[in-house]
Amino acid sequence: MLRIEQVSKVFYPATVNEKTAIEYLNLEVKSGDFITVVGSNGSGKSTLFNLIAGTYPVTGGKISLNGKDVTNTPEYKRAFTIGRIFQDPTKGTAAKMSIEDNMVTALHKGMKGLKISLNGTIRERFKEELKQLSMGLEDRLRDNVGLLSGGQRQALTLLMTVLSKPEMLLLDEHTAALDPRNAQIVMDLTTQFVKRYHLTTLMVTHNMQHAIDFGNRLIMMDEGKIILDLSEEEKRSLTVGKLVQKFKSIKKHEYASDEDLLVT
Amino acid sequence: MLEGIFVDGLIFSIMVIGVLISYRILDFADLTCDGSFATGAAVATMAIVNGTGLATALLLAVASGAIAGVVTATIHNRLKVPGLLAGILTMTMLYSVNIRILGGRANVPLLRITTLYTRFPEVFSMVSNPWALLIGTLLIVLVVKFVIDIFFRTDLGIAIGALGSNEQMIVSMGMNPKLLKVIGMAISNGLIALSGGLLAQYQGFADANLGQGMVVQGLAAIMIGEFLFDSNRISLITLRVVFGAIIYKALMFLGRYYGYYINLTPSDLKLLTGILVIVSLIVAQTRSAASSADARKKALKRNKARREAEIQEATHVED
Repeated sequence: MLRIEQVSKVFYPATVNEKTAIEYLNLEVKSGDFITVVGSNGSGKSTLFNLIAGTYPVTGGKISLNGKDVTNTPEYKRAFTIGRIFQDPTKGTAAKMSIEDNMVTALHKGMKGLKISLNGTIRERFKEELKQLSMGLEDRLRDNVGLLSGGQRQALTLLMTVLSKPEMLLLDEHTAALDPRNAQIVMDLTTQFVKRYHLTTLMVTHNMQHAIDFGNRLIMMDEGKIILDLSEEEKRSLTVGKLVQKFKSIKKHEYASDEDLLVT
Repeated sequence: MLEGIFVDGLIFSIMVIGVLISYRILDFADLTCDGSFATGAAVATMAIVNGTGLATALLLAVASGAIAGVVTATIHNRLKVPGLLAGILTMTMLYSVNIRILGGRANVPLLRITTLYTRFPEVFSMVSNPWALLIGTLLIVLVVKFVIDIFFRTDLGIAIGALGSNEQMIVSMGMNPKLLKVIGMAISNGLIALSGGLLAQYQGFADANLGQGMVVQGLAAIMIGEFLFDSNRISLITLRVVFGAIIYKALMFLGRYYGYYINLTPSDLKLLTGILVIVSLIVAQTRSAASSADARKKALKRNKARREAEIQEATHVED
């Protein structure tokens, strides 16, 4: 599905601010995989997602999607295969437009034509889709998205992403900015949709328990490299304590701040 | 007299719809407008002087404006410069182009030639001359408004609206934001040029300086419109733009007509327009601050009520 070969990313090359965010990274994601990605701040998780999605060009290496080399393909073209959800709930929806208008743009990927898709039938379909969120949004089709709460917006973003039928989901801490209750709802919806539409998923999370509970593979990143790659079997016996222990033994020294980040 | 204000305002409202598309819908601070308005006037005038049909003349004007919009959008997309700078570049270049179009002159009259505004009284001969002009202009504005309303309800139109609100979302949905910007800017400046083409015929001449200060005037009209009512439906948004444009022209008329009582000259009107925009911005800001303060208060109250309810429930359980 996704193959990353010897990819590196250097920011501000040849300046005093030069920073290597990703170093010769290799990753192979099989179709149907649900991989959780953990790592402390600045370990390169988000940069990795930006490289996969095409937001930044790679400094070196090769990325292929479904066997096709997409290293130089612009972000909007890769978006046909990839659905991405950000931590910031405002990034996935247009605040100044109504819920129905937002959903219409998500009906299919790619350039739109002069067709008027928004009619009674589609509105009924939208209502049915929105009911799955059980947030009462089905009665607010004409309300501007800007009026919704963060949790509602993120749930709507998730629904819209799924409506646009990607093959792969990139979830960049998509529940981190929500209160615990909404985070739970969005997480439940995520697993539900992933299962129903057989989506290959990469999920960055700071919640160690989530990283262990969800998915069939766990990778840990540090300083732009994958330092731990656990299969489904290895994950089964894993606890948060063991995971932190593993991190420490690999790093060989204590990072108080990192430990804090990992435990919470 | 009164009809004149309405005709003036209606012609102006087509331009304001163009500014609305760039500023409000695309969120693109576009100054091309100052040039493309005069371009539309120049193209329509020269086409009419050279004997093309009136419809062809207006279509050519729209096309010339659309090209100007495409140029601005392309400069912005390709060179990655801010929209503001791209617009200024095009606007400045258009000044030379406009004089070329006008055959090296800064001003070309449309006297003793059939224009739309000499045709209207013939077509609507059952009413007096000023009313005929008003009816003809109103029909054109209604058609333009109708077409724009329909366009922004199509999938493409909605996508252009979404682009102005959140570019990342458009990228995530597999659309090229650059292409959408080009389309939006073409429509915006096409309308602006159409308005210029109409104004040239109404006032009977095209002038290379016709577009000066148009952007600010357009913004003033948009903001006046936004005071009238609040809506997220495109048909109501364009309607309020038309109202705003007419009110703006009426205000300017009052300024010109009664201004001398307070020693106001026509050259002061640009200053007044600018002040009008600033005042509108201040009022809008105060309003939104007040409404968010209100929302905060309500949220606090809700939270408090919920907490109290929880405490009460807890004590009930203990009982």
